[in-house]
Amino acid sequence: MTRRIRNRVFLALGVFLLLFIVIAPFYYVITSSFKAPQEIIARTPTLIPQSFTLQHYEKLFRSSNFPIYLVNSLIVALGAMLLCVALSTPAAYGLYRLRLPGGKLLFRVILVTYAFPGVLLLIPLYGMLSQLGLIDRLLALIIINVTFTAPFAVWMLRAFFTTIPLELEEAAALDGATRLQALMRIVLPLSAPGVASVAIFAFITSWTEYMFASVLILSDANRTVPVGLAGIIGQYQVDWGLLLAGATVTMLPVLFLFSLVGRSFVEGLTAGAVK
Amino acid sequence: MDHASSFSSNDTTQKKRRATASRNRLGGYLFVAPLLLWLAATILYPLFSAIALSMQDIRIIGTAGDFVGLDNYARILGSESFWQAFGRSAIWVVGNAVVQTLAAFTAALILNQRFPGQQFARIWIILSWIVPTVVVVIIWRWLLSSSGVINYLLMAIGLTAEPVGFFGAPTTAATSVVLINAWRWFPFMAVTLLAALQSIPQELYEAAAVDGATAVQRFWRITLPLLQPVLFVLGLVGTLLSFNVFDVIWLLTGGGPSNATTTLPVLIYDTAFTRYRLSQAAAISVLSGLALLIFALLFIRFMAPKQEDES
Repeated sequence: MTRRIRNRVFLALGVFLLLFIVIAPFYYVITSSFKAPQEIIARTPTLIPQSFTLQHYEKLFRSSNFPIYLVNSLIVALGAMLLCVALSTPAAYGLYRLRLPGGKLLFRVILVTYAFPGVLLLIPLYGMLSQLGLIDRLLALIIINVTFTAPFAVWMLRAFFTTIPLELEEAAALDGATRLQALMRIVLPLSAPGVASVAIFAFITSWTEYMFASVLILSDANRTVPVGLAGIIGQYQVDWGLLLAGATVTMLPVLFLFSLVGRSFVEGLTAGAVK
Repeated sequence: MDHASSFSSNDTTQKKRRATASRNRLGGYLFVAPLLLWLAATILYPLFSAIALSMQDIRIIGTAGDFVGLDNYARILGSESFWQAFGRSAIWVVGNAVVQTLAAFTAALILNQRFPGQQFARIWIILSWIVPTVVVVIIWRWLLSSSGVINYLLMAIGLTAEPVGFFGAPTTAATSVVLINAWRWFPFMAVTLLAALQSIPQELYEAAAVDGATAVQRFWRITLPLLQPVLFVLGLVGTLLSFNVFDVIWLLTGGGPSNATTTLPVLIYDTAFTRYRLSQAAAISVLSGLALLIFALLFIRFMAPKQEDES
């Protein structure tokens, strides 16, 4: 009996530590973004805020270009999300449902593109996009983000598509539906959580992207949030309140979207490697 | 469909089926084609243009360059900074692999137990991975700053009298960057391992327990062998993705102090966009790509799990 109790204590401790390591920094950053400047830089850190102010948020939205960055990031993330879904759902459907000859090879090719280190393409893609006249245009970032999200999206979708019984589509085919109709009317609605997860994966990844955004965008008016925030890190004499508020606003859409599809998101994320 | 019944007595339905099958096939490729074309244009084409760029002497994009053959390669292979960055990338990848594997295994084994709030924990553990890197950078720059909470704690328990400048000295900077990146990535590995753990049939453990196997024996004899395929994928993909990390390092240290955190991606970026040697950066990219290709081939050759079934 005592051994069981000891095991439970260890387990509880482990769970607590694990969640503490991952979540505590976020708690501390978010709560501190509402603290008065004196409290933020005080020698003794406060776990529970002793003051409350919105002044950092006011500064962020009133006297920095952060609102512009937010709009730019939204355009990039939404554009990349739509294109990624439009390209990856038919591809995943074709690969996993239609038993194409050479499908396995194509699947491997897509897997390779997923693991392909994007930094190796930084220079040539920069050259290519500059030849196309897309430097300093948000469209360039949309293109890049689709390239780096679509392969993994295909991988994620596989798990969701394979759970739909084939008979449903065969029945639709008997009723004279085309493949496209079967995809649109039967497969997509049934794998809605999967498609939503993929869309949110594409959104989050594009929302986060820093490296390409930092070299492809030149003017402040076209910056996205990660590059804009990184600029604030260097630009001001470290104003932690402002940065913490910026960090909080930046992760807000991610937290919101993730909370909508958390479970199927994680399932889709892992299914590719497991199955 | 390939498996369409061949026992069908009705010849016309068979023909019809075959016709539908080949039409489906063509249609099938049409479903996949847009994505493949997209990837060809944005990955395959740039790959070749990187090789072309690396044989010229372009400094800033848009300016003309002359063909210089393999001069850039000769220069880079003879430069100390390339080999140092190469070594740092190797240390980076290995350091991350060790820390992340240990943390992820511990996390996955914990999450695989039953406890209240298990659903919540299994989903939100991924938090540090989904949050934008710039947020990760702000968080840790702040926590590790000289007036930050970690220095406060270190001083409170008497481990140090003065605040530690984590990003000030080469060794602490490199260690901090590895740990921060591992903090960001280990949850991804943990949820993948967890999913794999849950696909192991419970009966195996029960049978082993009946035979008197200890928990440690069960881990080595059942869990680890059955996780092998997942570990293989994680090892391969994880290495490539981990090599690729640029923003965390760049935004935390800028590659410093005294280049201690300049890995190959940082060197490529720095060469092209702060020192304006575009062609040289392209050559470093090609060489890095070759090194990774060799690694991947060796990894597949020696680590791939024995394939028993194809489907």
